[in-house]
Amino acid sequence: MDTFLNELGLFAPAVLFNIYFAAASIPLGFVFAVLLALGKASSNPLISRLSRGYVYAFRGSPLFIQFFMLYSLALSFNVAVWKPWGISWFVLHPLFIGPLVLTLNTAAYTAEIFYGALRAVPRGEIEAARAYGMSGRQQFRHVIWPNLIRLAWPAYTNEVVFLFHATCIVYFALPVIGMQKDLMITAKELFERDYNAFLHFSVAALYFLVVSLVIFFLFGLVYRRLMRHMPAAPGLRYAPKWLR
Amino acid sequence: MSEDLAFWLSYITNGKHLTWYASFQFTIFAALAGGMLAVIFGLAGATLKNSRFLPLRLIGTIYSSIVRGVPDVLFFLFFPLAFEQAVEWFIASQVCTPETIAAQSAAWPPCKEANWFLGTPEYLILASVSLGLVYGAFATNVIHGALRSVPKGQLEAARAYGMSASQVLWRVHIRQMWVYALPGLSNVWMLIVKATSLLSLLQIADIVLWADRLGAPNFLPAVGLVHDDWRWRYYLVLFVFYILVTLLSEKAFNAIMRRAGRGILSEAR
Repeated sequence: MDTFLNELGLFAPAVLFNIYFAAASIPLGFVFAVLLALGKASSNPLISRLSRGYVYAFRGSPLFIQFFMLYSLALSFNVAVWKPWGISWFVLHPLFIGPLVLTLNTAAYTAEIFYGALRAVPRGEIEAARAYGMSGRQQFRHVIWPNLIRLAWPAYTNEVVFLFHATCIVYFALPVIGMQKDLMITAKELFERDYNAFLHFSVAALYFLVVSLVIFFLFGLVYRRLMRHMPAAPGLRYAPKWLR
Repeated sequence: MSEDLAFWLSYITNGKHLTWYASFQFTIFAALAGGMLAVIFGLAGATLKNSRFLPLRLIGTIYSSIVRGVPDVLFFLFFPLAFEQAVEWFIASQVCTPETIAAQSAAWPPCKEANWFLGTPEYLILASVSLGLVYGAFATNVIHGALRSVPKGQLEAARAYGMSASQVLWRVHIRQMWVYALPGLSNVWMLIVKATSLLSLLQIADIVLWADRLGAPNFLPAVGLVHDDWRWRYYLVLFVFYILVTLLSEKAFNAIMRRAGRGILSEAR
């Protein structure tokens, strides 16, 4: 029991890094995803093609490779660009490049969710808005967006949990600086010290599980708020979708 | 122009590159074996989940829901390490004597005789089983849902023809289940393909590890090919490779779904 509590204490600073990576990339990814979803639905063929290609490429390749690719790309610009500008310590820092890659990755997955929701917005409501003489901007702000976010929210919750889980490969691809270790690196280093796989990996798993449940809870609260006008308010149910 | 061509031809057919190309076999093996095991574990898990015996049902439910709260990467790393330790613990309980245990200075294994050395083939098999276990849990949910979407009338008709329970299961239920399961299984397959990029975490010299080695800057002709830091080019190749695999898998699954859906009402698809 004592070793278990001790272990929980050892992992407590580590989970903050995972939470930081997720928290830093979710808001940016959200905004970027909305733009991408609108781009995908755009009538301009160039914008539509580009957004489609981006979403396909980042959904069709592993995050692990994306990390390596973008990090080595940033490294190759180091001598020519970052060093002279004096920002290489910042650009090449895992705490910057980690959220950057996660943002690019989650934006693609989220854009696919939002695009699906965008196409599911009832046509009648948009036609009614147009009949009222709303401008395109007004239609989006007052009709399309509220519908979209309500339709997309359960799947988006799922994506956020997947993103949080994806933060565990950040430090497998990027250099670990000093004591800045996330859950997986902590578990791996402790394992290499005393070879107690069951204890270390279980505690890391426990942290992931707890934070996932907190995410489900918080996003459930938001969902209830979004659906507050509906006759039967959906309860807070642990009803995850199973696939990303 | 032709000199350029000759240079690049000799560049990409260099011995080290040939090793890199050969290492694609690990990735392909892990994906295929992992995918097959995932379907098998998925079928087993769905059967457990449908079981009438409560403890079995609980096992199936726990198996399929535990992956949801825990990252797949964690499981993927944990299973081979834990399995290796379990085997070593078992060997140790057989061969270790108090003297050899006292002679052992490292934390693990208990005595030197119990050490189980794992090479690339062993790790590859363990990694495939690990992939199968993790994504089998995803497949369990897909197959469980698909089994429930087969129209009741079909099963009743089969029973009315006098088929036994196992005949109904194998000849009608599971046959028709594939149509409903294939879209979900295609998603699971994509996840497995993407997870094969993690093989290097288990000390397998796979395409990612080789890309890193070959792309690293080198200025000594004796050591290898001379170039700057070209890692991003190698990773770009892998990036494109995985996108192409995704594209091909999508096409293949569409063809399979069309074939599996023959003779079934289109609303099912």
